[in-house]
Amino acid sequence: MKQIQILLVEDDPVITEFLRTGLGYEGYAVSVVDTGNDALNIIRDTTFHLIILDIMLPDMDGFTVCRRIRNRELKIPILMLTVRKEVADRIKGLDSGADDYLTKPFSFNELLARIRALLRRAGNIRESTRIIQGTLVLDTNRREVRRNGRQIELTPTEFNLLKLLIRHPGRVFTRETLLNRVLGYDYDGGTNVVDVHINHLRQKLRDRPPILIRTVYGVGYAFHPDET
Amino acid sequence: MHLPAGKISLTAKLVFLYATLLISSVLLVSYYSYWNIWQLFITNKTSHIRARAKPVIEHWLQDQKITDPTSMAKKISRRNLLPLARDLTSKDTVAIILNKQGDIIASGKRLSEEPTPPPPNLKYVGKALAGDNEVTYWSKVNDKAILVFLIPLRLQPDSSTIFGAIQMSTSLADIDQILLRNGSMQISAVAIVLCGGVLLGYLLIRYSLRDLHSLTDTCREIAKGDFSRKPKITRRGDEIGHLARSFNLMINQLEKMFDSQKRFSANAAHELLTPLTGLRGSIEVLLRGAQDNPEVLNRLNKGMYKEVNRLIRICDQLLAVSKLENSCHVEKQKIKIHSFMKDFIQQAQLLARNQTVQLLQGPSLTLIADPDLLEQILLNLLSNAVRYSPANSTISIGWKSLGQTAEIWLADQGYGMDEKTLTHLFEPFYRGSSACKSETKGAGLGLTLTRTMVEAQEGSIHVNSSSGRGTTVSFTIPLASR
Ligand SMILES: Nc1ncnc2c1ncn2[C@@H]1O[C@H](COP(=O)(O)OP(=O)(O)O)[C@@H](O)[C@H]1O
Repeated sequence: MKQIQILLVEDDPVITEFLRTGLGYEGYAVSVVDTGNDALNIIRDTTFHLIILDIMLPDMDGFTVCRRIRNRELKIPILMLTVRKEVADRIKGLDSGADDYLTKPFSFNELLARIRALLRRAGNIRESTRIIQGTLVLDTNRREVRRNGRQIELTPTEFNLLKLLIRHPGRVFTRETLLNRVLGYDYDGGTNVVDVHINHLRQKLRDRPPILIRTVYGVGYAFHPDET
Repeated sequence: MHLPAGKISLTAKLVFLYATLLISSVLLVSYYSYWNIWQLFITNKTSHIRARAKPVIEHWLQDQKITDPTSMAKKISRRNLLPLARDLTSKDTVAIILNKQGDIIASGKRLSEEPTPPPPNLKYVGKALAGDNEVTYWSKVNDKAILVFLIPLRLQPDSSTIFGAIQMSTSLADIDQILLRNGSMQISAVAIVLCGGVLLGYLLIRYSLRDLHSLTDTCREIAKGDFSRKPKITRRGDEIGHLARSFNLMINQLEKMFDSQKRFSANAAHELLTPLTGLRGSIEVLLRGAQDNPEVLNRLNKGMYKEVNRLIRICDQLLAVSKLENSCHVEKQKIKIHSFMKDFIQQAQLLARNQTVQLLQGPSLTLIADPDLLEQILLNLLSNAVRYSPANSTISIGWKSLGQTAEIWLADQGYGMDEKTLTHLFEPFYRGSSACKSETKGAGLGLTLTRTMVEAQEGSIHVNSSSGRGTTVSFTIPLASR
């Protein structure tokens, strides 16, 4: 699968840092520039699938950058980051050619959702609702799991847990990360909940060696697909 | 316009007052003229009748050929006096003749259309018998006003011997009629004048107060927060015109204040939201799994630490601004500029990163200023100079005397500012293009604060700069008077 290229135009170092890291973890390739001129230069040579554009740039404002990109007849989806919540600003943003906007401080989850929506609209990703890993088939739309064609009943938490693991085969997730991603950032119980859920999941999947959900001692869990 | 119940509007009050004044003055005038006319008529009539009577009496006296009082006594008889009474009687005037005792001797009334004479009033008769030629009074007979004259009868016109009196009475019906006609005319005239006057007054008052009403309405709109409504600028030169104009001035001022306040809070929120975005995003990314990688964890943590410090700095400056704006208590004292600057330079050298800070001594002066504020001003300017100058450049501080003030200046050889920055640099939250060259971002409040502090000490601040040529900021502080 070809990697999605995202251009981030933002001059605040901390925001840049977390966006680069976070989007990197999600599998996007991120390039960063911090001025409007740099942005206009870089898109001349490189093709991007999406631009995340801050409205306040040191040399020009985001609206201008947006308009100039559109003047070049480039149809790259543009997601604007604004601070002001005023309607006039949003209209101005959309008028200048932006496809969507987010007001700071935004949630990273929402940003991801918007990025996916924009990419889908532009036809850059055809997100299949079915994930197939070895004998395991997961349908995110119907929230159905089958192994060797046999349907397995899962609770929502177990389903989300499995979905996260199965999407990143081989990657080791710590218990904390699994807890945060599946039960939410503000869940403040202990991490053994994760072990309990993993155990249930293993039982329901009839997980026998070679085990699908493997324990990485001292760290966490990772998913390894079996051979069909 | 709606007034609370039980309150009378200003228009009603003015109209009422105006009508009362109008009515009372009209009444006074008409009463006075009525009285005047009455007086005039009576005097007129009196002299007329007296003039007519005089020759008749004198003629009669001549006819009688009276020479002494004894011969006269015989002549005072009804038969003798009746022709005289008759001669003095006419259609509206009747004469009766009285003897020395006040008894009626002869009455001139013979025809029925002639008015009945009033019975003699002894008080007035006595006066006439005592020699008063001009006794005139009026009385009423059958509810009709009657004017009565008394003429003493003398032996000779110039004799002091009085043997009787003639009472002549004339009806005032004609005068009454004239006055009545006149009066009713006057009443209708007064009524017309009053109605017209009150109506006119009402219109005039309404017209004058009309702008007051619109002013009130506008006030109410503004109280609701709608500044777009302004009272119409009237070209009236009167007090209400003045009021409307002052009112407009006040609204414009208020609007400006509100706007800058609004802009300030919006900008403040903006300044706070940017670091918060960094913080929230970093935390989210960490929680999603980035925390499992120690290197990434460390990097994001450092970023967050910076953001928190930035938030604290912004909050500190915001607090300082509001403190300065709310109660700027300046504790002024005499400051010897030499020693003060020497102390400051030592601090300054610690703050400079790679720049040299030099002090150029000026004349010895004594300032009158708040030392804490003065130090804060210099620190702010120095921190800007340090942040916006490259390494190995020189920052100089010096002073000179300028009239009744000392001008302290701080010059750097840094990046300088462009025109746009120069015009906006004192605005809260404004950051110029030179700000990008600096690592630590300010909130754009430094110079705003500095100017407030300078002005709190009755000084002024001035910036001289051009792109790439460095910046000189100078401010004045009053000198202590010797
Ligand atoms: N000594 C200087 N040299 C160059 N630019 C300066 C200097 N001092 C101030 N500025 C410009 O003026 C702007 C406003 O300054 P200030 O109010 O102190 O805010 P900040 O906190 O950003 O320094 C800065 O962003 C900078 O662009």
